[in-house]
Amino acid sequence: MRKMGLQKHYYLMLLPGMIWLILFSIVPMFGIIMAFENYNPGQGLFRSEWVGLDNFKYMFQLSDSRAVILNTFIIAVGKIVFNLLVPLIFAILLNELTHLRFKKMVQTIVYLPHFLSWVIMATIVIGIFGYYGVANTVVQAFGGHPKLFMADAGIFRQLIIGTDVWKEFGYNAIIYLAALTGVNLNLYEAAAIDGANRWQLIRNVTLPALSTTVVLLGVLSLGNVLNAGFDQVYNLYNPLVYSTGDILDTWVYRLGLQNLQFSLATAAGLFKSVISFVLIFISYRLAYRFADYTVF
Amino acid sequence: MKRKTASVLLAAGLAISMAACSSSNSSNETKAPSSENSPQVTGDDLAFYKFPKPVDVHVGMVVDPTDKTLPQGDSVNNNQYTRYLKEKYNINVIVDWTAATGNDYKQKVSLSIASGKLPDGMVVDDRSFMTKAASSGLLYDITDLFKQYSSSQVKEIMDSTQGRAMENASYKGKMVSLPNITVDTDGVHIMWIRKDWLDKLNLPVPKTVSDIEKTAKAFVDNKLGGPNMVGIAGPSKNTFPYATFLVSSNNMGGFDPVFGAMDAYPGYWLDNGDGTATYGTLTDNTKKTLALLADWYKKGLIDPEVGTRDNVGDPINANQAGIFFGPWWNGGYGNGDSFKNDPTANWQAYPVYSDDGKWNTHMKTTGSTYTLISKNAKPDVVKAILIMNNALVRDESTFDLSVAVGWYPLRNVMAAANETEYEYTELLKVLKGETKPEDYNKPNSLYKLMYSDAKKVQSVVKAPYDNLNVSNFNMTNFGDFQRMYSLLIGDRPFTTTPIDKKVYSITYNQTPTMETKWANLKKLEDETVLKIILGQASIDSFDTFVKNWKAQGGEEIAKEVAELLKK
Repeated sequence: MRKMGLQKHYYLMLLPGMIWLILFSIVPMFGIIMAFENYNPGQGLFRSEWVGLDNFKYMFQLSDSRAVILNTFIIAVGKIVFNLLVPLIFAILLNELTHLRFKKMVQTIVYLPHFLSWVIMATIVIGIFGYYGVANTVVQAFGGHPKLFMADAGIFRQLIIGTDVWKEFGYNAIIYLAALTGVNLNLYEAAAIDGANRWQLIRNVTLPALSTTVVLLGVLSLGNVLNAGFDQVYNLYNPLVYSTGDILDTWVYRLGLQNLQFSLATAAGLFKSVISFVLIFISYRLAYRFADYTVF
Repeated sequence: MKRKTASVLLAAGLAISMAACSSSNSSNETKAPSSENSPQVTGDDLAFYKFPKPVDVHVGMVVDPTDKTLPQGDSVNNNQYTRYLKEKYNINVIVDWTAATGNDYKQKVSLSIASGKLPDGMVVDDRSFMTKAASSGLLYDITDLFKQYSSSQVKEIMDSTQGRAMENASYKGKMVSLPNITVDTDGVHIMWIRKDWLDKLNLPVPKTVSDIEKTAKAFVDNKLGGPNMVGIAGPSKNTFPYATFLVSSNNMGGFDPVFGAMDAYPGYWLDNGDGTATYGTLTDNTKKTLALLADWYKKGLIDPEVGTRDNVGDPINANQAGIFFGPWWNGGYGNGDSFKNDPTANWQAYPVYSDDGKWNTHMKTTGSTYTLISKNAKPDVVKAILIMNNALVRDESTFDLSVAVGWYPLRNVMAAANETEYEYTELLKVLKGETKPEDYNKPNSLYKLMYSDAKKVQSVVKAPYDNLNVSNFNMTNFGDFQRMYSLLIGDRPFTTTPIDKKVYSITYNQTPTMETKWANLKKLEDETVLKIILGQASIDSFDTFVKNWKAQGGEEIAKEVAELLKK
């Protein structure tokens, strides 16, 4: 009790966050009831007809659901992996630069795309990969025939992952760069005296110093295994690439907001949340075991 | 007899309503309303009744984010239209929320239906929103109030559709929304072609699909639109290769006339005549047309970026395209930038004929936007919304349109189904001096924009009037130019050329099974059709598509649609 008194101001500071959490995350949780009923907006959440698991059964009967889940998984995992690796490599390379102003300049330029929304980025991407875009100019310069990249289901996922990494790697590298400034310079000096070359310095000093950060970021992103990025896919896809590009979020969007199948859309959303929750739980365990990292 | 009574009523109503307008505040004793805002009067003065006490109407509103016409200091809650409603009818419009045109607004509407909390009034642009809200018991039954409070002009427009508009606005026999009524020609898609390019190449106007193929090839070969020349523009990533029973009009950039010329009506529910129904996309003629389009695409006649472009209008406005398909307003209103970029772009409109010289076209539903009124709205609020609609229909032509009329709260267009054809004919008479603009000065006319258009037309169009080209038009007032161009060039085919075959869909609405299965079937259809056109799937995949489509609920739906035939 005395302890509580001493920490009163901390609890006070916690209050706005808790209110936010209750209002926007816990109260809306009741909405998941919708997934188990035939929701009728006129009758409301508590008086609509209860149908149990019917919505879920129907969801898995739809020929789409399997492809949609697979697409979501592939795109999201691709994004997680490359959004860990590319910024890491970039940060290490940047760290090796000695020209300070050039370094700062590069860092600023590459993280600018992060601040553009996908609505704008999509227009740019469609322009670049359009029939008369830069990409096709390059293809033609090498003697190839121009092709419609945006209409090719075979490369749509790669395109989604690639453009996402391109947009975010500068921003994601900041955390690594911050971690790198924390590395004790004495370690480099000592290794250099022992005769290590640049490559060996990276392997034996820089990388181990970054390993906790990598694991931490990896773990934090595992919860995103079913988050393939609605904004991006929605602004880039078209019916031609549904087979590889339709993800859970765009599917739910079309079902719920365009076709007004509120219950089915909620069921699909809930399905996604449950899987994500299990994954976060597992990754948390893994993080504890391999990186000795705990939040609680 | 009936007509006579109507016109007497109309005249009487007009006299009273004009008197009401001029005497504004002091008119209380003549109307003698009871204590609760409910007047003891009937007819058209009820339709333009000024409430003694202010009535608050809460609305959800769509706004065009690119619109710059609202004067400094005005807002969505306070502009010339809201002030007009306040002054004339004592209606306070309170905007509860706004959302940008297109998907943003759809989303907001969808969420407000899902939460069961509708504003007093909002306009939705999809019938499934209306039926969902109605089946959930969220809508006001306006059957009686509409009869009492609608102006004779509104009723006349409703009647011009032979009851189709009323049916469209109703759910289970009750009128639960105010429908929009748009001109029939919105659903008639025609070919827009660069006549100046045809002249340059010394080519005749193409009539059939094989003519179009030759013409498009000549356009592409001669690169008249520069290095990125597009023979035939096509749909974007957000639009569709053809209009469907759910979205049956205004399909700019679709291939509708090509399908029509092949006697194919994809996306429409067709009556087989034997009590069964066929979905038009599944027919052999559709398959043949798709094979033809795929061939055109392969030959480089169709926009290579079809189906992935951001915006249908891009190649058209950049003057890179020689041909596109769409309804009457697509040239003029729809491609204004094309004329701004090249004032000699002589876009002309023609029907596309079948090989045996027939003009076939699918026809649209009466309208596809609806003003929804919440079940929880007070009767006075419902009346106010009906009055707002009456006022818009009567006074739209008198508004100062330098402020976009889209700012009018709950604007939902009502026009006589043949308004454009009437205007085409009469405007030409005005031009040729057979009639005078003043002849059209008839307040409360069914053709509400006729008088103001008649006054403008002479300053926009120059002689000779027999064969109008872009050079006959004066673009100084660009808005007027666009309207006149669309009316006099775009609607010429529909007004002057008889249609050999008009195809209506059995239904323009979703059946119960569609509510759960249509999203899936539509995805299958959109994907297959585009893939075939772009050559990503062979035409043989069409048969697999038909089989899958039927198996995944299509067959069941076709039976439901056939049931509708029995009624």
